[in-house]
Amino acid sequence: MNLLDIRNLSIELISGDKSILAVDKVSLSMKEGEFRGLMGESGSGKSLLAQAIIAVLNDKWRVHADRFHWRGIDLLRLSIDERKVLLSRDIAMIFQEPMACLDPTTTIGGQLAEAIGNDQLSGFYWQKKQQRHDAAIKLLHKVGIKRHAECIKSYPHQLTEAICQRVMIAMALARRPVLLIADEPTAAMEGTNQNQIFRLLSSLNQLKGMAILLISHDLENITHWTNTITVMYSGQFVESGTTDQIFNKPLHPYTRALVDSSPAANFHLPAKTRLITLPGSIPILQHLPIGCRLGPRCPRAQQACVKAPSITNFHGHKVSCHFPLNNKLKHNSSDKQNCNINKKYLT
Amino acid sequence: MTELLEVKELSKSYPLKGHWLHKKNTTVLAPISFKIEAKKTLAIIGETGSGKSTLAKVLVGAMPASSGSIFLNGQILKSDSYKQRCQHIRMIFQYSGTTLNPSLTILQLLDEPLKLNTPFDEEKRKKIIRATLQKVGLLGDHMNFYPHMFSGGQKQRISLARAIILQPQVIILDEALASLDPSLRSQMINLLLDLQQKMGLAYILISHNLGIVRHFSDEIMVLSKGKVVEYGKTLDIMQNPQHKVTQKLLMNQTFQLKTKKQLKAKKR
Repeated sequence: MNLLDIRNLSIELISGDKSILAVDKVSLSMKEGEFRGLMGESGSGKSLLAQAIIAVLNDKWRVHADRFHWRGIDLLRLSIDERKVLLSRDIAMIFQEPMACLDPTTTIGGQLAEAIGNDQLSGFYWQKKQQRHDAAIKLLHKVGIKRHAECIKSYPHQLTEAICQRVMIAMALARRPVLLIADEPTAAMEGTNQNQIFRLLSSLNQLKGMAILLISHDLENITHWTNTITVMYSGQFVESGTTDQIFNKPLHPYTRALVDSSPAANFHLPAKTRLITLPGSIPILQHLPIGCRLGPRCPRAQQACVKAPSITNFHGHKVSCHFPLNNKLKHNSSDKQNCNINKKYLT
Repeated sequence: MTELLEVKELSKSYPLKGHWLHKKNTTVLAPISFKIEAKKTLAIIGETGSGKSTLAKVLVGAMPASSGSIFLNGQILKSDSYKQRCQHIRMIFQYSGTTLNPSLTILQLLDEPLKLNTPFDEEKRKKIIRATLQKVGLLGDHMNFYPHMFSGGQKQRISLARAIILQPQVIILDEALASLDPSLRSQMINLLLDLQQKMGLAYILISHNLGIVRHFSDEIMVLSKGKVVEYGKTLDIMQNPQHKVTQKLLMNQTFQLKTKKQLKAKKR
């Protein structure tokens, strides 16, 4: 059974008398123990989607969905309070910029103790303080912080960013969640720290069987760690499939362009040549194109693209495009492009 | 080809608090020497706290150097000659959103360096601004807009326009590509490469993303705790790293890329 099953979720932002469709019919499903990447550039609505999942919503946002199930329970039928009770038990979220999310006036130990629920403790009230302390130390060990005594006593500003992010993960683990949503956990971190955090997440996934939804804006960073990837663009669903499918046989022109534009993924390109890019920039929310929102930037756009495409499923590799890339076609065209570029470079 | 920028034994240290008789210093940057030619890119990589940004600040003149000298085209650059330095060495920062003054239009923003450094009259300055905006892929009419009207990628282009408007010879990119989305980042890389060929610029690129470094740079300098641990041609270092720090940095990156290679190998 799917852990999380979302079909055609839309989020409308209401400002004055206008409403903006920030997330437009996105589907997402998570199996138990899955490590899924959710990739989208800024303005793609990936963080909004995550917030809709954990029901942290603003009054001015309206969420619709055809299906929104958590372990078989229809969340849309529950009231917001009931939903929060259910979700806060099973889902935890970690945010980007851990320094900003931790309370600067309380020690790490205090904040960790706060995150540990009463139901996990047993015995009389005078024993609980010690139990909380022990549980906090255990959590710190779980996320790989060995010097717990110093860590518990210190304030967030005294620790490095990677350690703060570990503390955030420890807090998220306090309720033993089934699903962990990581919203750009490594933004503005350098390579060594990034890898530490990703390795920790992946070990949690493998050892504890915890499902993880890793949100990122950079495709090349997450491909090593994820089993499956969902790509979004400007609030619309683009493509989802296994990491191998997305990276090596993308069906959507947008995913293709992302893979091509990454200098790290294109070893064969000689240094200092032009990279293949999509023209134009990401549309802002106030001026979204109709139909497929990639339309104005897409090299394969045709007249049919003024209508939003429906999702087609190729053996579990879902794509939302009127003219998906054929595998054979893809190879020819990309080779040709490369040749042209090399020619240009030589002349 | 002659060297455009030559740095000799440049170092930076701060005095520590202590008794005035035995003062101590912390060295942030051990004496560093390097050379850059025109149309070449030097990449500086290293972990946080390795002195990358300090080096950039000292080069651009935002901080005085403790010792050493910088030569531009064979002429020595004094640490207090801002006028000379700001015309030839310019810098682009990581967050373009916070480095543009929100209360000024693009015209006023770009006018400032021209007013201070050139004898041109208003009409001529406007002409230069229009041409520069077109050079970085914006429209001349964008000059009447305020920074908040632009998207992140466009703001980064405006920062670039501000950097190249005085026809500099060296541009320092301090993580300038890190905060951009991937599709805009590759556009920006293309633009920078074009401008390098057209204007004969030399870049000093500070970056964490080794994919970009490999694609973009001719030479790499690896810093660790303020010292140069490795310095040489990009390809040599990428293929055959000698020092532990370099190996560690490269391993982290190849770790991420390994699957891609493996997947590709599997495909074949």
